[in-house]
Amino acid sequence: MTVGKATIQLLTQSAEIYVAPDGKEHPVIGRKAVDSIARAGGISLREVEIAALEQGIIPRSYVRNMGTIGLAGQMKLLQSSVAVVGAGGLGGTIVELLARQGIGHIIIIDNDRFAEEDLNRQLLCTEADLGRHKAIIAARRIKKINSTTIATPCVEKLTRANAHKLLKDAKVVADGLDNLPSRFAVEEACRELGTPFVYGTIAGFSGQLMTIFPGDVGLSSIYGPPDGLPERGVEVKIGTPSATPAMIAAWQVQEVIKVITGFGKPLRNRLLILDAGEGIADRIELGK
Amino acid sequence: MASITVQFHSLYRLYLCIDRLSLQADDLDEALGQMEEKFGSRLREQFEKRGIELDQKMQDFSLILLNGINIRNLRETKLREGDTLHIFPPSAGG
Repeated sequence: MTVGKATIQLLTQSAEIYVAPDGKEHPVIGRKAVDSIARAGGISLREVEIAALEQGIIPRSYVRNMGTIGLAGQMKLLQSSVAVVGAGGLGGTIVELLARQGIGHIIIIDNDRFAEEDLNRQLLCTEADLGRHKAIIAARRIKKINSTTIATPCVEKLTRANAHKLLKDAKVVADGLDNLPSRFAVEEACRELGTPFVYGTIAGFSGQLMTIFPGDVGLSSIYGPPDGLPERGVEVKIGTPSATPAMIAAWQVQEVIKVITGFGKPLRNRLLILDAGEGIADRIELGK
Repeated sequence: MASITVQFHSLYRLYLCIDRLSLQADDLDEALGQMEEKFGSRLREQFEKRGIELDQKMQDFSLILLNGINIRNLRETKLREGDTLHIFPPSAGG
């Protein structure tokens, strides 16, 4: 993706100095300037922000990302597409955080609508949006947070038959599902597409997650073969309090960021179980 | 007879008030039998208190991993010194 000299010139002229809390100065560019340069050049906001980063100019909303992932990491995020399957408790929080982090394109797949019983834990669910499609509300929320991020809502139930079509553009797929058969279908599709899958589930005050690259051990090591498995787990009876989805979704987002930027060490071949009830984090090394 | 470690996770640790124990057993069936005898009824009672009626053995409603592999995937069930069993309830919420 290259932009013209005129755009580069406008970026340089529009750059301001931001003084970070540590006293260090950084060249930055604000939202209004990005909007205006995009309009002037007839290019997308994403192209403008990537061009800015290439010039060492940080879009203001990403300034606090720099100390961890840097300019190069932020560019990789902006150039990436992430699919979030399910936009409920886990998925809604994942969408919110990915947009704030500055992912370039988020695909939200969910055919469900918000219901009143979702209000306790689904971040994107509000009283005003009851009855509305989760994927559509998620896409609107993304645009409110970060207009640079392209949001593609898919009001469809993911199945083995349509998984490739829905996930083919994603660099990483994040799990916001609420049943085991769909998770196995997504895992299978991700393996076939060569796409990393960030798995997560919740029940009560506990949740678990791991990142599955093609070739890694996966859901079968935890659950056994999918045939004969129940569709749901103990969450059907013990429910899910408000903070549990946020606890697991936040870590899933960290996994997505690590996979895309190459920063840190993803949770591969290891199941992390977070138990807020007992205040314990367990890690199980998985075998094949 | 192999000495193995059993680790309980998430709800099971809460319900049984134990995080790990050692068992002596030759094979998986023997280890699961001992676990059922020690913990099966207590676990079912805890679930019943929360409105979950279970009439199966704990191995039938739990996820059990031997050295990180679900036991439903295993062909060989002989236990070796130092093996670890992880046991926790299935969760699928999102």
